Amino acid sequence: MHIVVCTKQIVDPEIPSGEFKVDFEAKRAVQDQGELVLNPYDENAIEVALQLKDRDKDIKVTALTMGGESSQKVLRRALAMGCDEAIWLKDPSFETLDSAGTAAIIAKAIRQAGSADMILCGRQAGDWDMGQVGALLAEELQTACIPLAYNIEKKEDALFVKRETENGMAVLEVGMPVLLSITNSSTNQPRYPSVKGVLMAGRKQIPTFSAGDLSIEAEIQKRVVVEELTIPSYDRQVLFIDGEDGPEKAVNLAAHLIKMNLLK
Amino acid sequence: MPGILVCSSIVCDAVSMPTREVLGMARTIAAKTGEPVSAALLGAGVSSLTQSLIEGGADSVYVCDNDKLGEFHANIYLKVLTGIAATVNPRIVIFPGEVGAIELAPRLAYRLKGGLVTDCIGFEVQDDAVIFTKPVYGSKALARMRVACPTALVTVRPRTQEPFGPDQNRKGEVVAVQTMLEDIQPETRIVERVEEEVFECTLEAANVVVSGGRGMKDPESFQQLRELATLLNGAMGATRVAVDQGMVPPSCQIGLTGKIVAPEVYFAVGISGASQHIAGMSGSKYIVAINSDPDAPIFSISNVGVVEDYRNVMPTLIDELRKALA
Repeated sequence: MHIVVCTKQIVDPEIPSGEFKVDFEAKRAVQDQGELVLNPYDENAIEVALQLKDRDKDIKVTALTMGGESSQKVLRRALAMGCDEAIWLKDPSFETLDSAGTAAIIAKAIRQAGSADMILCGRQAGDWDMGQVGALLAEELQTACIPLAYNIEKKEDALFVKRETENGMAVLEVGMPVLLSITNSSTNQPRYPSVKGVLMAGRKQIPTFSAGDLSIEAEIQKRVVVEELTIPSYDRQVLFIDGEDGPEKAVNLAAHLIKMNLLK
Repeated sequence: MPGILVCSSIVCDAVSMPTREVLGMARTIAAKTGEPVSAALLGAGVSSLTQSLIEGGADSVYVCDNDKLGEFHANIYLKVLTGIAATVNPRIVIFPGEVGAIELAPRLAYRLKGGLVTDCIGFEVQDDAVIFTKPVYGSKALARMRVACPTALVTVRPRTQEPFGPDQNRKGEVVAVQTMLEDIQPETRIVERVEEEVFECTLEAANVVVSGGRGMKDPESFQQLRELATLLNGAMGATRVAVDQGMVPPSCQIGLTGKIVAPEVYFAVGISGASQHIAGMSGSKYIVAINSDPDAPIFSISNVGVVEDYRNVMPTLIDELRKALA
């Protein structure tokens, strides 16, 4: 059984808003502010795949990413966590794709690299927060699709998938091939790479695929265009409540809230 | 004439509030372009809801009332929606930003060869296009996006648009959609469904929300938050970190991924203010932050702050408010 996990390198989403900078000309975040990291939901997806592999050694897990020179780092991280192989989709023309174009290229690469029984994506990437490449991939590859999944049990050839719903959770049975978009839960917190894993990952060959390798000749037209990127302001003037100690501050806070007539 | 298609959703046997909001948005666009507004209504035993959609702003309702649509299965819903879209030939397809749209919107966009903008919070009508505004980079930035192909699809964040009406004098057309569903099977089988305990009121509808984050030491600490929430007839929430640590169920998660709330009063307890969380609560009318770190980013978006370990504040705060509100 072969699992492909789609990953993306993004500007660290933990950068505080005060330090976050935008390149207004390029209409994207300034890339060199702090670290570029593996999208957190993709880490949850890798963890879900590795948990299946922990229970069944015949499962092969391949991490895939699309991006420029720096993005090799996320594949090394995925390998160090325990993925078996990596695929790097690397071409200057890939760097300006929208969600539809990205899904189309990834689908071609998955077909060319051999089939996948299960494809995992993070529920959305913490940069553009579009959350649509996964479902688009399911359409491209004509697989079943389950969004907001966080845990998978495999019994024979059947999969039992836990997913979030509007007001709780559901367990779904689904066959393969299937695409799952993964959301965070206490059950899929990403493992830390072991020292051995990091050493092995450093030595691994990572095959790259360019547009030419995937027989893409024509330019891929964008369906969604970013017209402008701006930084909103949420700032409010905060009033700090004084007091000698916690209980006194609590008394003063309660009095303030009552005076403001905020609570009914 | 091309039109606007709203994909409605049903919650508790009624048209959902987010659906009414996107109908309001569709009417605003239609007022500028003169386009007709259609609504797609799918489900089992839903025919009685057509009038409610017309009163809420639809000029016509395409209803597919079929037992096979009683349970939500995206692949079956998509077959019906694709058929309705082929009839209506919409220029804009609007989804209320509820859970179903996470899967339906991109897959319908694929089938219609359209472009999709998700989690839209605002829009402007231009001569030949509608520009959609959406938060990006964990709400640290706002992007204005244009769809550059004939069909634009959009999912809209709840509570960002005003519903229309209802206007009980509105008249509209009801079209019964006959889609062959005999030979299509669901992609998945629902084995089990668990609805989490909703106490007092749902997070999204609550006037007061009391949330805890990384600073909370254990699940028991959340009992104090629950106590305060109950006292104020509100609901309890949490940050992603608290959910990841297993202190509260995922249904409590407030943030960009999670629930988006905008109550009258929001208590942020032991919450530093990661942008992922702020994205889900910055629309709150009044924000109270309690955190032992005076430099926590949460204070910069709060109206009132207490620099103190929450454990030294909460018991007295609950007692004082109980006395004052008695």
